[in-house]
Formats: sequence, structure tokens, C-alpha cells
Amino acid sequence: MLGAPPAQRFAFKGKGGDLFVVLIVNMLLTFITLGLYYPWAKARKLSWYYEHTELDGHPFHFHGTGSEMFRGFIKAIALLLLIYGTYIVGVLTKEVTIVLVGILVMFVGLLAFIPLVIHGSLRYRSSRSSWRGIHFGYRGQLRELYRICLRDGLLTLITLGIYASWFTINVRRYTLSHMRYGSSSYAYKGDGTEYFLLNLKGYFLTLFTLGIYAFWWQRDLFNYYVNNLVWNFQDGKRIDFKSTATGGGFFGLMVVNLLIIIFTLGIGFAWVEVRTMRYVMENIRMEGDADLNAVVQTEQEHKNAMADDLGDLMDIGVFF
Amino acid sequence: MCSSEVEREIPAVFYDGVTSKPQEATVRVSDLNSLEVVLPDGARFQWPLEHKGMEWERSSSMLRLSFGDHPRRVLLIRDELFIKSFVLRMRYTGRQGGYDRILSFARSGPVAFFLGVVALLVCAYLWVLPWAAERLVLLVPTSLDERIGEAAYQQMAFALKEDQGKTVALQAFGDAMELSPSFEPRYHVVEDAQVNAFALPGGHIVVFTGILEKMSSAGELAALLAHEATHVEKRHSTRMMARSMAGYLFLSLLIGDVNAVVTLVAENANALRNLDYGRGLESEADGVGQEVLFANDLDPMAMVRLLELLEREATDVPEVLAFLSSHPLTEDRITAARERAGSLGVPQRPNERLGVLFEQLHPTTDQPTDEMPSSDN
Repeated sequence: MLGAPPAQRFAFKGKGGDLFVVLIVNMLLTFITLGLYYPWAKARKLSWYYEHTELDGHPFHFHGTGSEMFRGFIKAIALLLLIYGTYIVGVLTKEVTIVLVGILVMFVGLLAFIPLVIHGSLRYRSSRSSWRGIHFGYRGQLRELYRICLRDGLLTLITLGIYASWFTINVRRYTLSHMRYGSSSYAYKGDGTEYFLLNLKGYFLTLFTLGIYAFWWQRDLFNYYVNNLVWNFQDGKRIDFKSTATGGGFFGLMVVNLLIIIFTLGIGFAWVEVRTMRYVMENIRMEGDADLNAVVQTEQEHKNAMADDLGDLMDIGVFF
Repeated sequence: MCSSEVEREIPAVFYDGVTSKPQEATVRVSDLNSLEVVLPDGARFQWPLEHKGMEWERSSSMLRLSFGDHPRRVLLIRDELFIKSFVLRMRYTGRQGGYDRILSFARSGPVAFFLGVVALLVCAYLWVLPWAAERLVLLVPTSLDERIGEAAYQQMAFALKEDQGKTVALQAFGDAMELSPSFEPRYHVVEDAQVNAFALPGGHIVVFTGILEKMSSAGELAALLAHEATHVEKRHSTRMMARSMAGYLFLSLLIGDVNAVVTLVAENANALRNLDYGRGLESEADGVGQEVLFANDLDPMAMVRLLELLEREATDVPEVLAFLSSHPLTEDRITAARERAGSLGVPQRPNERLGVLFEQLHPTTDQPTDEMPSSDN
């Protein structure tokens, strides 16, 4: 295997027109039901993306259903209403101390949800994803994630944001290193210092080149994500992920995407999504001779979608 | 299944749910209610079609059957002919979901479907939404208007330099008429050079000294109060809020997933439409205000004189640009007011009391330096 170029094994087979129809039907049904269809629409959309993403010619599958996401959606709304409701009641009492405590509780309360949202979303989404009938899974501990977020959050505050690079990578390393595919598992080797330097370089070069370097910065971020990801198998073998994305590639992708959006007044959105997915999937290559047939089912089902919906409502992007 | 499908062996991929090894299986239709699956090692089993644990999904290029408890066994079939007859058979026994029907309908004519959905949304936005928002306001008690207006007035009162004496006089002037039966208007005179006045929901009506000084008759002031009181009486602020909130909800519902360009276009269109609605409310305040004037034995032509005054001042003084945006003074408004005044006519017993009250508010002798505003704007 030495010397062989990394193989292209991922592919995205979706067509823009097909996604467009799915999205329009979602829009219609969401509208007719005054928004209640939202969880089902989300399930349809995710299913479509999974179904058209292939590894070695086999599609992924999303098992999540609208009804289980609806239950999560209702729970998430109830939780947010409780927090905002407490805050509003506090404001109505018109007592300054109570109002201040209310504001504090609201912000701290919402911040405190972030690790929960990350943890719950990862558990739900991974458990409801499969490839060749084997489910993915997330085995991270919520307590540990809270510990990382609290420690790194404070350090980021103290260092006026500089520590954010380490924060990002520490969370990414912890979560990705606890992702599994049946009996196989993943690991992330990234490190905050390297990521910080990469961002520092990207920031200043983008500034000096009046924004042109932004595409190469984007490439570096993508590569840092992909190239540090490892897939470990029970027999000790492994697969390394390698990115073949280039700055020029990102440049072409993003400029054409922008033109499509502008000239179609946004209607070409589906085609932009498809172009992006195709570029990403074609540029994540794999290196290694591990046997993908030997993975055994290990993970239990996890059907609680509350954290995932909470993330949607709070606009927290867990998936990059 | 069609009889031609019976003999055929359909290639399929089978995942057993235990390991990740895919198996190249063949599928045959054995009877009406099940498929026979043959694995590469010769093992064969029946796959029931009418079973609670059997689920199927059809995407654009393949059919996915799954069966059993977690971990489920899965069959993937890409044979187009088979998929077609399978879907027909499932539809025959009623096992095709509503979603699949809508989706295949949409796929049969995506462009027409898209245009249809857009037309539906536009209609809903233009007609259903405003109707629903107005109905909603009717359900909201008028005490809410009062609470909102009171809170808003308390917040801005710090910044307003109220002339207490004139406020009392204006209150007496307003109380001499019946302007807003549902609310109790509270009038305030504020020292400010702007030729402006505004009403808050629930009854606070603020008149700047700038506009009082420009007035030459009690009728003009009565027209101004009638106009502002109509905003209060007809709950224009609350209606406006209900409209823009409904519009905002509508948009966020629809374009929650769509990109920033669509959001930008849609939000601006919504803002423009609210502005348009705002102009409609101004016209209503003019018209109803004139009827109120007439009911109070005042000449509705006073509204025309007020509008002419505002138009004159708007072109003279740049500070009133802000006034222009909320009160678009066009020839149209003046023309409409003149027509309404003509059809309403002149009241039989002219209202004399207001003249005396107006003199208290408009002493032309004690404020000679009206060029120098004493308060900050």
C-alpha cells in the first residue's frame, strides 16, 4: 500500500433538481401545518442527504423519524419557554434585583445548554445513522464534556478569546474520539497550538491579500479537520483520512455558488448544496488496508431527539 | 406483482444487521405477500410484505426494505422495473404514505409544482395573513394597548420636556370633544421645534409646540387630535405590531432553512409592505378623523388645512424628514380629504367653545423667538 495515492471512496450522488423537489414539498407541508411539520421536514431532508452519500458504492442511511423528532421538538420548546417565561415573569415584577437575576439565569441557563446540545445531538444523530446496516454511535460522557467546556470557556474569557482555538480543538478531539462505527472507532489527532497558528496565518494573510487568501484559509481549516481523523479497527488496522481539497478548488466552488445564489435570487439553493456536498465528498480520501467488511454491530438505539431539536431552536451548529 | 415480474430474479444487496459485510442477494416474487431472498451461500428465506415490522422507503434511485427489531435487516434494490411494480403493489393495498404521493406528484412536474407552491404562499401572505392578524387583534383586550402605551410613555417621558400648563389646556381642548369612545386620550404638549405629533397605543397623544405654533385655527388642532385619536381608537399600533409579527413569523417559518439572500429579499419585501400598510392607516386616520370632526360639530375641511400646513412645513424645514416617512403627505391625501369634506358637508351648529380653549394654547404674543428651539431634539 505504500506509495499508493489515497483512494477516492466517498461519493455524493444527489442531483440538485431532486433536492429542490424535496425542499419545496417540505416547504409546502411546513406551511400548511403552520410549522408543525418541521421535524418531519428535517427528517426527510437528512434522509435525502444520507441516501445520496456513498462509501464504496454503499449509501448511508438516516433512521430518525419525524415523530421522534417531533417529541424532541416539543420538549425543546417547553424547556425554552420555561427559561424565557421565568425571565419574563422576573421582568414583570419590575424589581431591579429580580430582573438582573433573571437576566443572569437566562444567559447562564442558555450557555449551560450548549454542552448538553452537543452531547445529545451527537448521540442522537450517530445512533440514527448507519452504513451497510451497522449503526454509528457516540460514547462520550456528558460530565467530561461539561468539564472541558467550563475549563476552556473560562480560559477563553481570561485570554480575551485567544484560547478559543484550543477550546474548539479540545471539544472536537473529545467528541470525534468517542465516535464509533459498530466495533470500530475514530480518533482525532488535532492540537490547539497548530490550529491557532493556522488561524493566525489565515487571518493576517487574508487581511494582506484583501480577502483572496480566505479560500486557502478555508482549505487549511478543512484539511486540518480531515487529515487528523483516523478510523481504528478491532484488528489493529486503521484508515487515515486525507484531504485533496485545494484553495483553487474552494475558490471555484464558492464563487460559482455565490453567483448561482445571486442570479437565481436564492432559488438555486439546492444546486449549491449539491455542488458543495460533491466537492467535500470527492476530496475526502482514504488511506489504509483495513477490512470494512469485518465490523460488527455494537451500538444500542438512542431515540431521544430533544437535544438535537434544542440545538436547532438555539441555532447551535453541532455538525460542520 | 405483475406476472412478468414473477419469473425474474432481481439483484439486491442484503445487510444482515450483524456485520458490515454486504451480500449480493437475489430477490424473487414468491407469492402476493412475500419475496424470496436468496443469499450467495445458498441460504434462502421469505421476506413478508404485509407485516408491521416491514418498512419500505423509495428514494430517487433505489428501494430500501427493512425488517425486524434493531438491528434491522435491510434489502437494497436498484432495479427500476421492480421498483415501479413494487410501488404499484404497495399502493394497491394502501401501504403508500401520503408523503410519497405528494413527492411523486411534485416530481412529475417540478416547475409547475414550484410555481403552484409559490402562488399559494403569495396568496396566503397577501390575504390570509393580514386577515388572521386583524382577527387576532380583536381577541386581544384593549387593556393591552393601554399597558403597552403606558410602558412606552414612561420610558420616553424622561427625554420629553413637557409644558405642564399647555398640557392642561390641551387636555381641556381634547375633552371638549368626543374623539375616542373606547379609550381615554391623555394629551401632552412637549417643547420641541419639530412640526410633529404622535399617538401611542392606549391613549397618550403627544403634540410638539412646533406644530402648535404653526396653526392658525382651533379647527386645525381639532383635526390633528381627531387624526391621532383615530390611531388610538382604531388600535393602529397594535394592528401594525400584529401584522409585522405575523409577517415575521410567516417568513421565518418558510425560510428557516434557506440562505441569506432569500432572507434579505423577503425581509425587505416585508418591510416595504408594512410601510405600505402604514400609509393605509394614515389615510384611515384622516378619513375617520374627519367623521369624528363632523360628529363634534366641526368643519371636516379643517383636516385639509392641517394637511396643507404639514405639507408646507415639510418642504420648508429639513427636520421634519422623519415625519415624512411615517406620514407620507401627498397630494392624494389632501385630495381625498377635500372630497370627503365635500360629501360630509358643514355642520349645522358650529362648535364655538373650542376657539376660546385654542387661544390658551396659542398665545401669539408671549413666544416671539420661535426660531430658537429651547429643547434638544
